[in-house]
Amino acid sequence: MLLQLKNVFKWVNTGGQRIFLLKDINLEVEEGEFISVMGPSGSGKSTLLNVIGMLDTFDEGEYHFLDESVHTLKEKYRSNLYKEYIGFVFQSYHLLDDLTVAENLEMPLLYKKVKGSERKALVADILDRFNIVGKKDLFPSQLSGGQQQLVGVARALIASPKLILADEPTGNLNSQQSEEIMELFKKLNKEDGVTIIQVTHSEKNAAYGSRVINLLDGRKV
Amino acid sequence: MFKNYLKIAWRNLLKNKGYSLINVGGLALGMAVTLIIGLWIQDELSYNSYFKNKDKIAQVFQSQTFNGETGTGPAIPRPLEKALRDGYGDNFKYLIMCSWTNDHYLKYGEKSISRPGNYMQREGPELFGLEVIKGEKDGLREVNSIMLSESTAEALFGNEDPIGKTVTVSNEHKLNVSAIYKDIPFNNSFNDTEYIIPWDMYVANNEWIRNAEDSWGNNSFQMFVQLVDNTSFEKVTNTIKDVKKTLNEDSAEFNPQIFLFPMKDWHLRSNFENGKQVGGRIKYVWLFGIIGAFVLLLACINFMNLSTARSEKRAKEVGIRKSIGSQRGQLIYQFLSESFLVVVFAFFMALLIVLFSLNGFNDLARKEIGFPWSNASFWLLSFAFVIFTSLLAGSYPALYLSSFRPVDVLKGTFKTGRYAGLPRKILVVLQFTVSVAFIIGTVIVMQQINFAKNRPVGYDKEGLIQIPTFSQDFNGKYDLMRTEFIGSGAVVEMSTSSSPTTQIWSNRSGFVWEGKPEGFQEDLAWTEVSPEYAKSLNLKIMEGRDFSRDYATDSLAVLINETAKKYLGMENPVGQLLRDDDEEDPNPPLKIIGVVQDMITQSPYEPVKQGVYVYDRYNNGSYYNLRLNPNQSATQNLEIVENVFKEHFPDIPFEYEFVDDQYGEKFAAEERIGRLSGIFTALAILISCLGLFGLTSFVAEQRTKEIGVRKVLGASVFNVWNMLSKDFLKLVIISCFIAVPIAYYIMNGWLQEYPYRVILKWWIFALAMAGAMLVTVLTVSFQAIKAARANPVKSLRTE
Repeated sequence: MLLQLKNVFKWVNTGGQRIFLLKDINLEVEEGEFISVMGPSGSGKSTLLNVIGMLDTFDEGEYHFLDESVHTLKEKYRSNLYKEYIGFVFQSYHLLDDLTVAENLEMPLLYKKVKGSERKALVADILDRFNIVGKKDLFPSQLSGGQQQLVGVARALIASPKLILADEPTGNLNSQQSEEIMELFKKLNKEDGVTIIQVTHSEKNAAYGSRVINLLDGRKV
Repeated sequence: MFKNYLKIAWRNLLKNKGYSLINVGGLALGMAVTLIIGLWIQDELSYNSYFKNKDKIAQVFQSQTFNGETGTGPAIPRPLEKALRDGYGDNFKYLIMCSWTNDHYLKYGEKSISRPGNYMQREGPELFGLEVIKGEKDGLREVNSIMLSESTAEALFGNEDPIGKTVTVSNEHKLNVSAIYKDIPFNNSFNDTEYIIPWDMYVANNEWIRNAEDSWGNNSFQMFVQLVDNTSFEKVTNTIKDVKKTLNEDSAEFNPQIFLFPMKDWHLRSNFENGKQVGGRIKYVWLFGIIGAFVLLLACINFMNLSTARSEKRAKEVGIRKSIGSQRGQLIYQFLSESFLVVVFAFFMALLIVLFSLNGFNDLARKEIGFPWSNASFWLLSFAFVIFTSLLAGSYPALYLSSFRPVDVLKGTFKTGRYAGLPRKILVVLQFTVSVAFIIGTVIVMQQINFAKNRPVGYDKEGLIQIPTFSQDFNGKYDLMRTEFIGSGAVVEMSTSSSPTTQIWSNRSGFVWEGKPEGFQEDLAWTEVSPEYAKSLNLKIMEGRDFSRDYATDSLAVLINETAKKYLGMENPVGQLLRDDDEEDPNPPLKIIGVVQDMITQSPYEPVKQGVYVYDRYNNGSYYNLRLNPNQSATQNLEIVENVFKEHFPDIPFEYEFVDDQYGEKFAAEERIGRLSGIFTALAILISCLGLFGLTSFVAEQRTKEIGVRKVLGASVFNVWNMLSKDFLKLVIISCFIAVPIAYYIMNGWLQEYPYRVILKWWIFALAMAGAMLVTVLTVSFQAIKAARANPVKSLRTE
C-alpha cells in the first residue's frame, strides 16, 4: 500500500462556527492506481490533494505514507519524504518565469542534491522523452499552454516519483491539448507504473482513471 | 546550487531595472558614505601612528588652579627639566625640552623662505623616531646645526646636496645642515615641523630663556618623554605629580600638578576641564561613526522594504519551490544570496563613488586620506562589511518571503494581510525619524555657527592686515616703518602688538589694586601694543582716553577692556593703579587711562576674557597691524605695502594675512562639521526618498486596478493623489514627532558646550518637519499623479 488516510478531518473556524473542509476521510491508495477525485467547487478536492501532497496539514486523523506516519513527522522530514516520492502538476502550470525550460526541469534535482553531471543527463533524458529538446532554452512565456503543462508534467516526473498529484491539470487547456496530457498520464501509469491522483471536473478525463472518488462538502460519497 | 541562485537573482535584477537601480543605487550611496566615514575614522584613529614609539611617548603637562578654576596645558617651566632628570631620570629612556613650533626665515643664497620649525634637545629625533634619509642620524650634536625636512630642503636647495651647506635662520644665525629627514605625514601632531634646531642654540640666542633657567613661574616651554620599558604613564605620573609644588614653595598655592599626557590621547582626547581629561575630538569620531551606521541602516531599510513590498510577485516562486521540495532553509539561503549579489554590486559602485569623491571630501574635511588599495586588512574588512550588509539588508526579507505557505500562494488567492505592511511602515518611520533628526541637527549646527559669526567682534576687521615681525631686524624700526607706510598712501593707520589680533599669547598675574578681594588670584590677558593700537583697529574707547604720544607718562599707562573693568571690580577705573605685588623689587605701577570695548580674541563661542593693553615701551611687537586705505583697492594697497616692506627688509619674505580671514579660521572646525553633516544629511534624505519613491511606485502598481475602478466611478486626479499620498505622509508625520524630542535632547546637549550659543527656537523644528513633509509629498506625488492620470480603460483591460 502506498498511502492510507484514516478518519482525516480538517476545519477552519469562522465567526464561532466550525466549517469542515474535510470530514472523516478514509482512503487507501495502492501503488499503480490512477485515481480521479471529482466533485463540485468547494467540495474539498484540492484540499484533499494538498493534504496527500503534504503541502497542507489536517486537524484530526492519521496519514500513513509508505509506512511513515506523516501526521507525526516534523516539517523537515515531511519535505524530504515528498521531495523523494511525490511530484506535483498544477492547473496553471506554475513554472518559474525567470528560468528556462531546462532550468525549470533541473530544479527538483537541485533540491534533491543530485550531482551536476547526473542532473544534465536526467534533464536531457526527459527533454527527449517529452519531445521538447528544441524548447529547452525558451522561457515559459514563450510556450503555449499545452507546452507549458507538458513541461510541468516533465518537471513532476524528473525525480522519478512514485506518486503524481495533478490538480486539474487540463483546466487551462483546450480539448486537443487536454487529450494529449491525459494520454501521457495514462501511458505513465501503464508503462512506468506511476501512481496518479488527479482532481478533475471532466467526466471524460475521469474515465482515464481506474477509480473515481466523489466528494461533497468535504465528505466522500 | 549557489550558481543557480545567483542566476535567478541576476535575472530578477535585470527584469526589474527600476527597482534594481533604486536598490543597488541606494545601497551604493549608503555604503559609500559608510566607507568614507570609515576611512575618516581610521585616519583619525591612526593619528600619530607614524611615530614608532607611540605607546611610550608622552608630553609633560601641568595643571594649576586659580580662583578655584583648574587650567591644564602643555606649558612647563625650565627648572622642571633638571628636577625630573636628577630625581626621576631612570623612568625615562629619553627626556627632551622643546620650543613651540614657530615660523622663521630660512635663507640660502638668494632664496629665502618662511617655514615653521622647532628647537629640540639632541635626542628629540631619536625619541620621535624620525627617519633620517641623508646626513647624520644624530643631527643635533653640534650646536650650530639644523635638520631639514625633505620638502624644505628641496625648496631651499633644489637639486643641490644640502648636507654641510649653511642656512641663515632669522637673518642672523648661520647653521650647517646636518641631516635631512623624511617629511612627517599630515596626520601627525608634528606635521608642520619643517626643521629642527638644537635647543642649546635657542638658549644661547635668547636672554629670556637663559633667565628662565631657574624660574618656576615662567611656563613657556614644552617637554616630551619616552618611558623605559618596564613602567607605565600612570606609575610615573604618580611619582612626579607634586615635583613642582615640593621644589617651589611659591607655586604651592596654585597646586601645580605635573603629569604625563600619553601620545595616543593627544589628538582625540585633548580636552581638559578642571584638571580632568574630558574627551575631545573623539566625540566627532563617535558622531560620524553613528551617522555612518545610520546612513547604512537607511539604505538597508530601502532594500528590505522594496524586497518585501514585491513579495506578492515572489510568492508564487516560493510556493513552487516549496512544492518541488525546497526547505525553508534553502529558500532563506537563496534570498540571502540574492541580497549578497545586490550588495556586491552596490559595493563596487560605492568604491567608484568613494574614488571620485575622496578628493572633494579631503578638501572639505581637511584631510589627506588616500585610498588604501594595497592594504590587505582594508579588503578583508570590506569583505566583512559586504557580508554584514547582506545580512542586515537581506535577513528580514529572506525570513519573510520564505515563510509563505505554498498552499496559500499557489491557489492564487494569496494576498498579503492587513498587517503585512506593518513592519514596512515601521521601517519607513524609522528612516524618516533618522532623516528628520539629521535635518534638525544640521540646521542647528549651521545656526550656531552663524550666530557666533554675527556676534560683534568689537573692532573693524575688514581691511586690516597683519605682518609678522619676529626677526631681530624689525627691532626699533616701528616709528620709521609707520611713517613710511602711512606716507605711501596705502595705509591710513598702523600699530604693533605682542600677539595677533585674533589671539591671546600671554597672561599675567601678580597685581594689586584698590579694592582687590583678599586671596583673589587674578588672571589677565596681556597684550603689549603701540599707542596707535585702538586707532588702527577702530576699537572704541568707552571711558577715559586712548594712549597719546603727547604724554610721556603714557609709557606706564594701560587700557583695560570692559570685561576687565567688571573683573577688577572698579566703578571708575580711569586713574586707578595696577601695582606689582613683588615687594622686594617691584615693577613700576601701571595707570589705567581708559576702557576699550571688548574684542573677541579667543573663541567666538566664549565670553571675552578680561584683558589689559600695555604701552609697548620697547617698541618690538610681534605683528604690524595695518589699516589699509579704504579708498584704494586692496591689491593696490598690498602692492605698495610690499614695495615699502621690501625696500627696508630686502632679506625677509613679505608675508601678511587679512585679519578677517584669520578670524574666519576660528569657525573652521565647526564649519567643517556643519558642512560634512549637511552633506551626510542630504544623502540620508536622498536615500530615504529613493526608498519611498520605490515603495510608492510599487503601491501605485499594485493598486492600478483599484485606481481604475475609482476613476471610472468618478474620482478626480486629486482624489487619487490624495489617497496614495496620505498613507505615506502619515508615516512621515509620526517620524517627525519621534525625531523632534530626540533631536532636541541631543542638540541641546551639544550646545551646552558653548557658553555663547543660539537659543533653540520652535520654528527650527517646524521648518525641519515642513521640509521633510514637502520632500515626501514631492517624492510620492510623482508616482501618485502618474498613476492617477493613467487611462482607467487601459488598466482595467489588463485584468
